[in-house]
Amino acid sequence: MKSLDIIIVAALVGVAAGWLVRRWLAAARRRKAGGCAGDCSCAPKLGGKK
Amino acid sequence: MSAPSSSPLVALVGNPNTGKSTLFNALTGLRQRVGNYPGVTVARKSGTCDLGDSGKVELVDLPGLYSLAAASPDEQVVTDALSGDIQGDRQPDVVVIVADATNLLRNLFLASQVAELGLPMALVLNQSDVAKEQGLRLDTDLLSQRLGGIPVVLASAWKGEGVADVRRAIAKALEAGVRMKRVSWPVKIAEALTSVAAAVAADTGKVITAAAAQRLLFDNTNTLPERLGWAATAREQALRPARDKVRYSGYNPMAAEPLVHYAHLRAELEGVVQARGNPSGRTAAVDHLLLHRLWGPVLFLGMMLGLFASVFWLAKFPMALIQAGVDFLKVGVAPYLDSTPMLQSLVMDGIIGGVGAFLVFLPQILILFLFVGILEDSGYMARAAFIMDRLFSWCGLNGKSFVPMLSGFACAIPALLSTRTIEDPKARLATAFVVPFMSCSARFPIYALMCAAFIGPKYEAGWESVVMVGMHCVGLLFAVPTAFILTRFILKVKPQPFVLELPRYQMPKPRDVLWRMWQNAAEFVSKAGTVIFAITIIVWALSYFPRDPAVADRIRGENPGATSEMVMSKIQAAYVEQSWMGRFGKAVQPIFDPCGFDWKITVGVLASFPAREVIVSTLGVTYSIGEGAEADSEYLRTAMKEATWQEGPRKGTPIFSLATILALMVFFALCSQCGPTVATLAQETGGWKWAATSFVYMTVLAWVVAVGLYQVVFRLMT
Repeated sequence: MKSLDIIIVAALVGVAAGWLVRRWLAAARRRKAGGCAGDCSCAPKLGGKK
Repeated sequence: MSAPSSSPLVALVGNPNTGKSTLFNALTGLRQRVGNYPGVTVARKSGTCDLGDSGKVELVDLPGLYSLAAASPDEQVVTDALSGDIQGDRQPDVVVIVADATNLLRNLFLASQVAELGLPMALVLNQSDVAKEQGLRLDTDLLSQRLGGIPVVLASAWKGEGVADVRRAIAKALEAGVRMKRVSWPVKIAEALTSVAAAVAADTGKVITAAAAQRLLFDNTNTLPERLGWAATAREQALRPARDKVRYSGYNPMAAEPLVHYAHLRAELEGVVQARGNPSGRTAAVDHLLLHRLWGPVLFLGMMLGLFASVFWLAKFPMALIQAGVDFLKVGVAPYLDSTPMLQSLVMDGIIGGVGAFLVFLPQILILFLFVGILEDSGYMARAAFIMDRLFSWCGLNGKSFVPMLSGFACAIPALLSTRTIEDPKARLATAFVVPFMSCSARFPIYALMCAAFIGPKYEAGWESVVMVGMHCVGLLFAVPTAFILTRFILKVKPQPFVLELPRYQMPKPRDVLWRMWQNAAEFVSKAGTVIFAITIIVWALSYFPRDPAVADRIRGENPGATSEMVMSKIQAAYVEQSWMGRFGKAVQPIFDPCGFDWKITVGVLASFPAREVIVSTLGVTYSIGEGAEADSEYLRTAMKEATWQEGPRKGTPIFSLATILALMVFFALCSQCGPTVATLAQETGGWKWAATSFVYMTVLAWVVAVGLYQVVFRLMT
């Protein structure tokens, strides 16, 4: 039972940490592409001029 | 369903605050953010509009502007979109001018400029209901005839009236391709424009449109010449004689364009608008009081106090309901996890303790946004801008800074984006730098927690709202001198006049206000279910591990006569102290000790740097683990009230004294604790220099002010 306890908790903590890291990386990528750095649904910045 | 990429492109263009976004929403069925003050739309937004038998078109909502002489970044977006100068975008097939029916002459100036681009056009006279109320009668057939046969329709997008007519007008404009009648330039000006176009062709080899020649002759901006690759010296040689020619014809070259357009439009509007009575009598009477030099600010402050008092009073019952729900969940879940104590602690202390502590503030957030929505839609917020402009102009900020700063009270990110409406890059930078000082809604839970736990019970209930208003003013109090120093001594911003069109007063539309409230609630709950949920799990893990059984044995050995409950409580507290989070918090705590923060608050402060609202759930987790799984939802407030210093000169005294809670609130009011805000600041200022400066400045300032406040209040209270 104790090992099951540890496995479940480790999985939950791992998933939470992984999800946060993925989210931060996605935001950084979005920002690099000229998009919004926040969580709001604002429109992406317009592209460069022709 | 979206329109195919080959479908016609239709652009909505008009002066700020004419209801373009409302019309866009009505035509596309989308829920674009709308507001009755300028600057709400700062970038291009698109959607699909169904024209029935005429098929579907891609509709683009562009930021509002008064003239094609683009000065600010959002105005540049419009001129680029209309000229087809945006990468990956086409030139519109039809331009729909959205004009305020109550102020046709001024609105048609932009239409007349757009006509120079030679694109098919349609004209929507929006807010026709208000025009009718004001006794204005508009002859659309006559206007259409005068403007060269373009479709002209009346609409009230706000009421959903005339939207079908707008669809028909777009379809007609697409089919017939009718262009609006252009202005007739005086001979000398026409010659000057021809000479400019010829000079560009000779110097760069590029053929430019008549509209581009007008921009080169009448404007002083460098954007277009740089894009054409027209060298400054060659430009100077061509433009000087051309402008002299305009001057000799009796016009100032910089004022010729509006003078000629307005003369043309006055003639075209002859007999189109018939007015009866005094259109603005009631609004003027209300404004006489609300914009009064003395009573205006007093009423504004009174309104804010009333707003926060109502938020506290109305939210009490629903907050108690949510707390009861969290308790019910805890009691219901606990027995199922008895066999897995670690998972039980994660679920009870981490997830329910952390997320529950955050979610409990949902009613206050909802009520706050309900009132803000009512104030915005009634037209009062634009008046607040006018009142605040006196303060802003004193500290050297552009009057246009008000809209971003007002938005900053909800969230700094859209507020930073809306600084694009400011023409002067230095004024824009100064505004962006001080926007994060505005007390965003993420700061609200920590203020509410401190007020509900300490201010309300200890002092009279009215003090809660006074402290709330005070906390919302703290940011402004430091933003003003910061802006003053920045604009006067560092950036040396030139003062600029502020022109704000005050919208009419109107009854807020329940659907719009409730929709905005719902959006904010959804965002709050989704944050609780995603970011806060994940962070509480991490904070729980850091506060739970490592667990050395020797600690429990030592505590049991040291307390032979104590009850098992007491021993368990001491063991839990010892575990938290020796956890990774406890060790880290204790190592860093000396930095925050002068602010009166113990290691648990220090942990909360540090965990809140990516997102400041994390403080509530972090305190929820650290105090919950210490209190044991049986604690009810009041545990956080109770545990905070009972927490005392365990060592040092303050041993035995409450950690959460008035000095500490004021210092903590002020620290959160001033500190730069929002990763996305710092990133957006970097994005909008074109680099990390100003973002890093803002982060360091705000954080150091927050610490210094918190230390000062704690030391003063602590000495006064002891």
